[in-house]
Amino acid sequence: MRRDLVLGGWRDLGTVGLVAGLCGAYAAVLVTASSLLQALADASGGGAAGVLLAVVATVFVLVAVYVSAVVIVNAVDTVVAGRLRQVALLRLLGARGRALRGSVMRASGVVGTVGAALGAVLGVAATDAFRVVLVARGTLPRADYPVTSPWVLAPVAVVGVTALAAGWVGSRGVLRVSPAQAMSSAEAAAPPTSVSGRWRLLVTALLGVGGALLLALSAAVAEGGSAAGFLLAFAGSASAGTGLLVGARFVIPALVVAAGRILGGSPPSRIARRTAVADRLRTTRSTMGLVIGVTLVTTFASGVRALQTAVHSWSDLGAGQRAQAEAVLTTTTVILVAIVVISSVISAVGFVSTMSLTVIQRRREIGLLRALGFTARQVRSMVARESAALAGTAVAFGLVLGVLFGSLGAQSLVGGQTDGFVWGLPWPVLGAVAAAALGLVLVAALPPSRRAVSVAPVDALRVER
Amino acid sequence: MPTAPHQHPSSAPARPDAATGRDAVIAFRGVTRDYGEGTGLVRALDAVTVDVEPGRFTAVMGPSGSGKSTFMNVAAGLDDPTGGEVWLAGRPLHALDDDGRTLVRRDHVGFVFQAFNLVPTLTARENVLLPFELAGRRVTAEVRERVDGLLTSLGLVDRAEHLPSALSGGQQQRVAIARALASDPQVVIADEPTGNLDTRSSREVLALLRAAVDDYGQTILMVTHDPVAASHADRILVLADGRVVADHGRLQPAEIADLLVTLEVGAA
Ligand SMILES: Nc1ncnc2c1ncn2[C@@H]1O[C@H](COP(=O)(O)OP(=O)(O)OP(=O)(O)O)[C@@H](O)[C@H]1O
Ligand SMILES: [Mg+2]
Repeated sequence: MRRDLVLGGWRDLGTVGLVAGLCGAYAAVLVTASSLLQALADASGGGAAGVLLAVVATVFVLVAVYVSAVVIVNAVDTVVAGRLRQVALLRLLGARGRALRGSVMRASGVVGTVGAALGAVLGVAATDAFRVVLVARGTLPRADYPVTSPWVLAPVAVVGVTALAAGWVGSRGVLRVSPAQAMSSAEAAAPPTSVSGRWRLLVTALLGVGGALLLALSAAVAEGGSAAGFLLAFAGSASAGTGLLVGARFVIPALVVAAGRILGGSPPSRIARRTAVADRLRTTRSTMGLVIGVTLVTTFASGVRALQTAVHSWSDLGAGQRAQAEAVLTTTTVILVAIVVISSVISAVGFVSTMSLTVIQRRREIGLLRALGFTARQVRSMVARESAALAGTAVAFGLVLGVLFGSLGAQSLVGGQTDGFVWGLPWPVLGAVAAAALGLVLVAALPPSRRAVSVAPVDALRVER
Repeated sequence: MPTAPHQHPSSAPARPDAATGRDAVIAFRGVTRDYGEGTGLVRALDAVTVDVEPGRFTAVMGPSGSGKSTFMNVAAGLDDPTGGEVWLAGRPLHALDDDGRTLVRRDHVGFVFQAFNLVPTLTARENVLLPFELAGRRVTAEVRERVDGLLTSLGLVDRAEHLPSALSGGQQQRVAIARALASDPQVVIADEPTGNLDTRSSREVLALLRAAVDDYGQTILMVTHDPVAASHADRILVLADGRVVADHGRLQPAEIADLLVTLEVGAA
């Protein structure tokens, strides 16, 4: 089965390749950097640092892979959703649903693997170039550094397999198409509304409530000075976080609906709001990565800021010591944020691509709206509102979660040494995230909506079959 | 033109606005619409001059590719003429920019297309009310009553809160007609509104359009290939190669079929 029967060509899978490439490059940088640090540690006699680094790097890479998987599933699903009529026609002509789905899956896997490999090559090259510069400047000692570690192949393979699996999950829509749809005049099939789920809901509630209780308990325990607080906080965050991932399809659309009400009741707002949640799974997938990414960034920034505030309040430290501690913590923030920001980048890429694709797929609807009296401005503002309802909600939710997790984490570490609960509010980071979110909303909305209104309504409405 | 000009009160004036503001909802003055350039040039409308009077049901017929859709799109301000003047409700569409034409469409035109008529994320009732909201008009009790009346007479009351994806093709088409009629526009433009319907649904739709003309004085301009559909109209315009080649009053289906055949033979 030729791939391009369902998908138009490699361009359709551009997002898959780009996301896989980013993920591969990121993993390669982390793996190569740890192998450098390991070499440094070996040169100076210590050995244990390497294991810890490998564990930390693995965790971060897995988070990035997870976010990439969500984004790839969504990218494939969106492309397939735009080609349901074509799929229906192929089915009518005798193609088997499974075979078509298999071709989509293989294409996604191939593009993902190639993207990850290219990204990894770039990541290794960039890290080594950086090392050469640092050694030349004398920042790093001269030593026998490896180019990279053989382990770099692992994330490439993992990303490739993930893209394959994500292609399979994302192409589920192909099986829902009946050959008869090729002949029906209805434009798009109704999106699946019932999202399976009493069990999912139950698990979500248990994990979420349990996590919240654990977190509250950890704060209280730590206030008493017990070291068990950190373990409790870790367990609580893990439980609440898992609950959110499992239940994202309930939580996120509900939040988007609530946020959408702020937009008001004008026709552009109402259509924007409805479109934002027309397909709950797509809504969830296109914003979940943003929630995860922003939560990670904010958690670290907020946690460190809470520690800083705590340090600031400790009067028994000398001024010099305090300044030094704060400088170390600031550097830590920068490094941590730089390491975890990748999830936000990957999900932003995914968000822009989903928005553009869905706007392009809706050109007939937009032509109809223009015929009925929507001005070009109203169409652009409608798409921007949809983008804002989605990305704005995700980012705001991530910020809230991050501040909660970060402050609770800091509390569990140093709660005993501070008076009451210390909120970590890293304003520069929060401001930067909000500004980036605004940029994302506009970048995702304006180019496709401008393209959509540049087409005359007659052309947009023309029946193409 | 092979047939006598239609019996409208004023013959084409040099400056149409004085006349069009009063007698014609839509006035074409030497309207040309070209597609493509050079050797690939297609003249979809060729110097068309015609008036559409208010309160009447006008059918537009003609062979495939004769320019019917182009005629409707230009009349509705969806498409720009290459040359000539188009007046709608006294406004010069040819002289307006995109936003200006959008506002004329919004305030004065009701649309029924052959397919894909409804906004997929709005319920049937919301689709019907959309033109009111777009025009910033209050949805008064009177409007609600009118809309309910329309939905009832179209057999859609128990379907009013459904999304278009849950409606059959004929039901979607009827919702579109309710929307076009609900805002009481200057003219309803319908391009093959019964093209996708079975005989019974299409008879219902035509009866409804006819009733809107008779009961409310609605102006309707409709493209159709079906002589039976055209027999509901007060006036039948026939296009061929971008020109109006026939212009008749009310005719029986058989007469219309004969007319079309004669014209095709004459053209061949
Ligand atoms: N966008 C376009 N580009 C080039 N040519 C066009 C375009 N739209 C219409 N035409 C041409 O203009 C002519 C008139 O087309 P139009 O769609 O108005 O015909 P029609 O009478 O509505 O036909 P049908 O009954 O098949 O719908 C045709 O020759 C068509 O090929
Ligand atoms: Mg046509």
